[in-house]
Amino acid sequence: MRDEMIIKTAEGNLVDEIYSSPVDQWQHRVRGLVFLVALAGIVLIGIYLAWYFSRDHTREYTDIQEHFKYGSIGSEPGGTILTPVGGVLPPYLVFKTLPNVCPDKLPGGYASLGLIFEANHDLPIGVSRRWRLGTEQVGLNCAVCHTGTVRERADSRPIIVLGMPAHQLDLERFFQFILSCSLDDRLTASSVIQKAEESGEHVGLIQKLLLKVALISRLKMQTLELQNRMGYALSGALPSWGRGRVDTFNPYKSLQFNWALDQLPHDELIGASDFPSLWNQAPREGMHLHWDGNNTSVDERNLSASLGAGVTPVTVDHASLQRVHNWIWTLPPPRYPFAIDQTRSLRGKAIFEQQCAGCHSFGGNKTGTVETLSSVNTDPYRLNSYTYIFCINQASLYPESQYRFTHFSKTDGYANQPLDGVWARAPYLHNGSVPTLLDLLEDPANRPKQFARGYDVYDQQKVGFVYDTPAARTEGSFYDTTIPGNGNGGHLWGTTLPGDQKRDLVEFMKTL
Amino acid sequence: MDQDVIFQPLKFRNLIVKNRLFRSNVSGRFDNYDGSGTQTRINWEESFARGGVGAIISSFVPVHIRGRILPNYAMIDGDDKVPFWRAVGEAVHRYDCKFLLQLSHGGRQRDNPGIENFRQKGLSSTSRMDTFHGLLCESMTLRQIKETIQHFADGARRARQAGLDGVELHASHGYLITQFLSSAINDRVDEYGGTLRNRAAFLLEIIQAIRKEVGTDYHLQAKLNAVDFGNALYPWEKKGNTLEEGVQVAKWAEEAGVDAIHTSIGSMFPHPLLPPGGFPPDELNWWYGNMISSGVLGYFNYTMFHFRLLRPIFTFFWARTKKDHPVEAVSSEYSREIKKNVGVPIINTGGYQDGRVIRRVISEGYADAVSIARPLIANRDLPQILESKRDLPDKPCSFCNRCLVNAIANPLGCYDVRRFDGDHDAMVAKILEVFRPSQFSEM
Repeated sequence: MRDEMIIKTAEGNLVDEIYSSPVDQWQHRVRGLVFLVALAGIVLIGIYLAWYFSRDHTREYTDIQEHFKYGSIGSEPGGTILTPVGGVLPPYLVFKTLPNVCPDKLPGGYASLGLIFEANHDLPIGVSRRWRLGTEQVGLNCAVCHTGTVRERADSRPIIVLGMPAHQLDLERFFQFILSCSLDDRLTASSVIQKAEESGEHVGLIQKLLLKVALISRLKMQTLELQNRMGYALSGALPSWGRGRVDTFNPYKSLQFNWALDQLPHDELIGASDFPSLWNQAPREGMHLHWDGNNTSVDERNLSASLGAGVTPVTVDHASLQRVHNWIWTLPPPRYPFAIDQTRSLRGKAIFEQQCAGCHSFGGNKTGTVETLSSVNTDPYRLNSYTYIFCINQASLYPESQYRFTHFSKTDGYANQPLDGVWARAPYLHNGSVPTLLDLLEDPANRPKQFARGYDVYDQQKVGFVYDTPAARTEGSFYDTTIPGNGNGGHLWGTTLPGDQKRDLVEFMKTL
Repeated sequence: MDQDVIFQPLKFRNLIVKNRLFRSNVSGRFDNYDGSGTQTRINWEESFARGGVGAIISSFVPVHIRGRILPNYAMIDGDDKVPFWRAVGEAVHRYDCKFLLQLSHGGRQRDNPGIENFRQKGLSSTSRMDTFHGLLCESMTLRQIKETIQHFADGARRARQAGLDGVELHASHGYLITQFLSSAINDRVDEYGGTLRNRAAFLLEIIQAIRKEVGTDYHLQAKLNAVDFGNALYPWEKKGNTLEEGVQVAKWAEEAGVDAIHTSIGSMFPHPLLPPGGFPPDELNWWYGNMISSGVLGYFNYTMFHFRLLRPIFTFFWARTKKDHPVEAVSSEYSREIKKNVGVPIINTGGYQDGRVIRRVISEGYADAVSIARPLIANRDLPQILESKRDLPDKPCSFCNRCLVNAIANPLGCYDVRRFDGDHDAMVAKILEVFRPSQFSEM
């Protein structure tokens, strides 16, 4: 073997002929091979890591109901390792182990907050899994706020109703627990790994490393930032939401617009109201949506809601959201699951058409329009929390994307809602201040002042959930109508009907 | 102790040695690059004769340039070398000391191939490299085998012409003849590989060729491995020849006509068990660089020796079998098995210094004599000390093996500065004494 080393000089090239020994030849060959193998190894490791950290994978559910319950809409953190965006929940392993890390802060686990667990699923309905940023993430989907349970009696098996307001869910306490436990000293990479392995999870080497060097510290940093922004809202200065309610817009003000909450008028920060139902969206297109009717586009309303669940334009899963959109577009309202007195119902139908249909039936001349506050006269806090300035700022979100909001407007009242599936939408009025339909037909002075909500045993007489038994008070959250934002006044239509007609009317409303 | 066994003459078929102390074969880079001898070599060998050993087994003397371990070793590859060896023999004989020339061929075990050899692989029974340094080799053709056998016979003839007292075949420690004998190394499928008898054919044919060349009245001995311990360094290597095989080879060698057997162990050199004692990493760091390009694993080994953090890894492998063996008389147990099975005298090597150990080995039938290198390098007058009824010198050899590691690059001598009370200059001065007188000194 001969190697040529060429040295350039003024006179030309000097060529040194260098003869190599068998040892040189062997080393040349083997080192070349070793170099190639090492290089290939490095490249393969690089490709693997690039794939590992950029892979975006979630389980596909062919059944649309399973997809609605567990499918990802892209609300898990995404983007890139360097610039992660989106998400409101910690990674899968952390999320799963939090109740075991801080058992004193949530003795009954996530189920005690009204999250619904089904057999063969380790996560509750409304919580999806997705591999992003090199780890298994979790996110919220539509079902978390739009799936409810109903029981005939305390010893009955709960019926899970998809699209129904999650009247049993205490979303505020859910977030408070996540924040509190995330910042708890007991939450460490070691405790997460230990608890996860105790529960039978296999935690791989890379995941252990990620937990130790990045995930936990990043979670705590993000949580501290969130706590700083939301401090005033979390400080107890505002009335709690209670089960089945959410303040849709006030968190926006701090999280999206960085407004200092404690600088805003206190009353503006009170806006908790009921989760709405999701079914039958096609005929709602063009109506004033949201309780105050501030948007007339179903798609834009859906997007706005998904932003609240942690979706961003970068992380959104279009195809998934579209599947949900298509399904709820024509999803029929759930049939009333108990017996209906057909005679009463027939009588009630006539009353409904005379008293209610103009505002609450599809095709009614006022259905889907905004009833002024002076007319409906229900609690004003929710309406006032959505301010004109906030509305304008909403239009500034994602101006570079197709998701820019163009249908939001400030209104002066509450929208007349179609009442399809109204039996499953208790408690009533926008803030859930009246537990049953029969109570709603009472003069405000006679409506329950205090009651429990979130208990899922159904009151077939009053049409709504049982609210005044010891079990209801134990399982549900306490609702006090005297607290700001919780007022049960207004909406006097039907209150002057004779008692029998009221019962006929609510019997008929079971059929909507 | 009127009849000290150490100082009883030892009678071989063709040779009588005055006592039972042999200077074991040990080399030193004292000669000219081309293998011609120097006054330094004569000084070196004479110093041991002066010290009182009964016989000196020469340095590793290659019978052919391709069998050289390191440059600057005197060779016996041509008739032109006879006068030099005659001069060595005459110098030694002045002290009533016998001189046995060790006929050697390194095969693949070439620590530094030198300019003559570096573009050729070593010759061996196999084409598989050695597992310690990665010394490359090629399997010898039958013609090369026959030629090499004749080189040994020619070497013996030259030794006799030079008036030396006998020859020894270096058939141990991983050199060429071991490469044929060892089942861990020899992977041939012809008449020189496979069964033990086939593997021994190369040795036995050399013995026969020598006898044919020099007759039966000239002393011929073979240095043989009792056991190979081929996996002493790396446990994944093959073990090589067992004691039973070692005994059988010795019996065949006796039948073929050797007059004595020099027993040892170890399928390479150095080997974790032989020479017994230390393997100083500081010296390896300084001097192993000399053979970094000799084998394909040289750089790997050097890296292990160079970085303190890595040294324990190598030391773990090097030292793991040592715990089962003594330093002094390391191979005596195996030697005894051979002695039981052959009739010719046995010389055993491996860690001899203490007079009590040597006496026991000889009187209890482990061997008829012992061969010594390092303790004699440290104390040339060890025989006189033992004869004066002392069992150990004042500053005995520590078996540190610094001499061994230095031998790759530096003049052979004792490099244990502790024996010079930490005086490095004194140590160097002692080492350099071997160069006096020089060829041009006023005698």
